[in-house]
Amino acid sequence: MAKRSGERARCVTGIEGFDTVLYGGIPRSNTVLLTGSCGTGKTSLALEFLIHGATKGENSLFVSVTENSDKMLANIIPYNFFTDDLVESGKLVFVDLPVMYERLGMTKAELSMEEIDLLVTAIASLARELGTKRLVIDSITSVCYKLKTSEKIRDFVLKLSKALTDIDCTSILVSEVAAQSDSYSMFGVEEAISDGIVLMANMERRGDLLRTLQVIKMRGTMHSRAKYVLDLTPEGVLLVPLLKGGSTRA
Amino acid sequence: MSDKRVAQQVADELIDVPPSSAISLQMSVDHYLDVLRGVLDLFASRKEADVIYVTSTISFEAIKRVMEALDIDTSRVYFVDCISHIMMGASSGQTDEHTTLVESPTMLENVMLKVEYLIRLSEAKDKIVVIDSINSLAIHNNNWILSEFLHILVSGLRVRDVYTIILSVEEHSTPEINNMVNLVCDQGIRTGQKED
Repeated sequence: MAKRSGERARCVTGIEGFDTVLYGGIPRSNTVLLTGSCGTGKTSLALEFLIHGATKGENSLFVSVTENSDKMLANIIPYNFFTDDLVESGKLVFVDLPVMYERLGMTKAELSMEEIDLLVTAIASLARELGTKRLVIDSITSVCYKLKTSEKIRDFVLKLSKALTDIDCTSILVSEVAAQSDSYSMFGVEEAISDGIVLMANMERRGDLLRTLQVIKMRGTMHSRAKYVLDLTPEGVLLVPLLKGGSTRA
Repeated sequence: MSDKRVAQQVADELIDVPPSSAISLQMSVDHYLDVLRGVLDLFASRKEADVIYVTSTISFEAIKRVMEALDIDTSRVYFVDCISHIMMGASSGQTDEHTTLVESPTMLENVMLKVEYLIRLSEAKDKIVVIDSINSLAIHNNNWILSEFLHILVSGLRVRDVYTIILSVEEHSTPEINNMVNLVCDQGIRTGQKED
C-alpha cells in the first residue's frame, strides 16, 4: 500500500490515550482550543502536555491568567512524572499574565488594538527567547474578557497563533464555557480560528457524572471523533472509550 | 468434592495458562471461597503476580477479612471496589494504597480506568485482573453495556499480556450472561458443581 504523503510532523503529547485519539499527536505548531466547563480537567491535561514536553527536552511555557501559578501548582494532581528539576532547569517555565500586564502598563479594563499587538509581541518574544516548543495559556477566556469585542478577540487569537506558528511552537489555549453551552468558546470567535478543538465535559448517564473528552476538529491530521471517558490520576490523564450500550444520551 | 480439592482443581487448570489469556471461571456458590483460594494461591503466592481484584459483590473490607481468615497473602492484591461507595456508610470506606473505590458498579468506564491505573503502577512481571463477579455487575448494568465493557477490557488486557479471570456463580447465571462471557474468554472452567 502506498504511504500517505504530506503527513505533518507531530507534537507527541505524551498522554498515551490522547495521542492515540489524534493518530500520533497534535500536528506540530497547531494552536488548539482546549475547551470545557469547570472541573472537567482542562488545566490538568494542559499541564501534563507541558510536563511531558519538558521531560523530552522541549522547552515548555505555562502562561497563567486566572490564578497565581504557585496556587495552581499546589492544587494540581501530584503527577508521578513531575520533578522540580524541570522547573529549576528552565525546561518548564510558569509566567503569570497579570504580572505581564502590569509590566506592560496595561492597567485598563479593556485593551486597545495597540495594546493587543503589544501583548502578542510580549508573549511571542518571551516564547522565542525561551526557545519554547510547547505553550499553554490558561485561560484564553480570561484574556478575552479584557478584549471585549469579537474583532479584538479575532485579532488577538490570529496574531498569537501566527506568531507561535512562526517559531514552530505547539500551543493549547484553555477555554472556559458554561456547563450546558452549545458553543465551544465563551465569545464564539476563538473556536473558529483555532486549528483544533478538544472538548472536555461532564456527562451525566443514569445519575453518574463522567468526565469526557472529544476531539471536535484538528487540522492536519485524521482523528477519532468518538467520546472518551477520562480519569485524572498521578500517572496522568487516562482515557477509555465511552461505552454506548447503556447510554441514554447521544 | 472436598473444599481443598476445589482449590487444587482451580490451580491445576490455571497453572499452564499463558499470559494474556481470559478465563471464565464458573462455580457453585458454595465453592466461592475455595475458588478464590485456588486463584490467589496460584497467582499471588506461587507466580508472584500482582492481582487486581475488581469486586462488585461484597466490599473490599469483607473480602479482605475472608482472605485473611483463609490465610491468603493479600500483599499482592489490589482492590477496585465498586460496591462500598453505594453502601452509604455500611462500609467504612477507609481505603489504603491497595484499594481504589469506584462510585458505582454502573460506572464501568471508571472500572476500566482504575484497572489501567493499577496496571501502570504495578512493577510485577505478571499481572492478573479478577472480575468478581459478572453476575453482580449484571444486577446493575444491562447486557449490552456489560458485553461492551468485557470486550474492551479483555482486549486491552490481552495486549498488555495481563491474565483475566471472570468469575460467575452458576446459580445466578443466565444463558445471556454465559454467552457474553464465552464470547471474550479463551477457556471456560466449571468447578465445584453441585451433584445431582
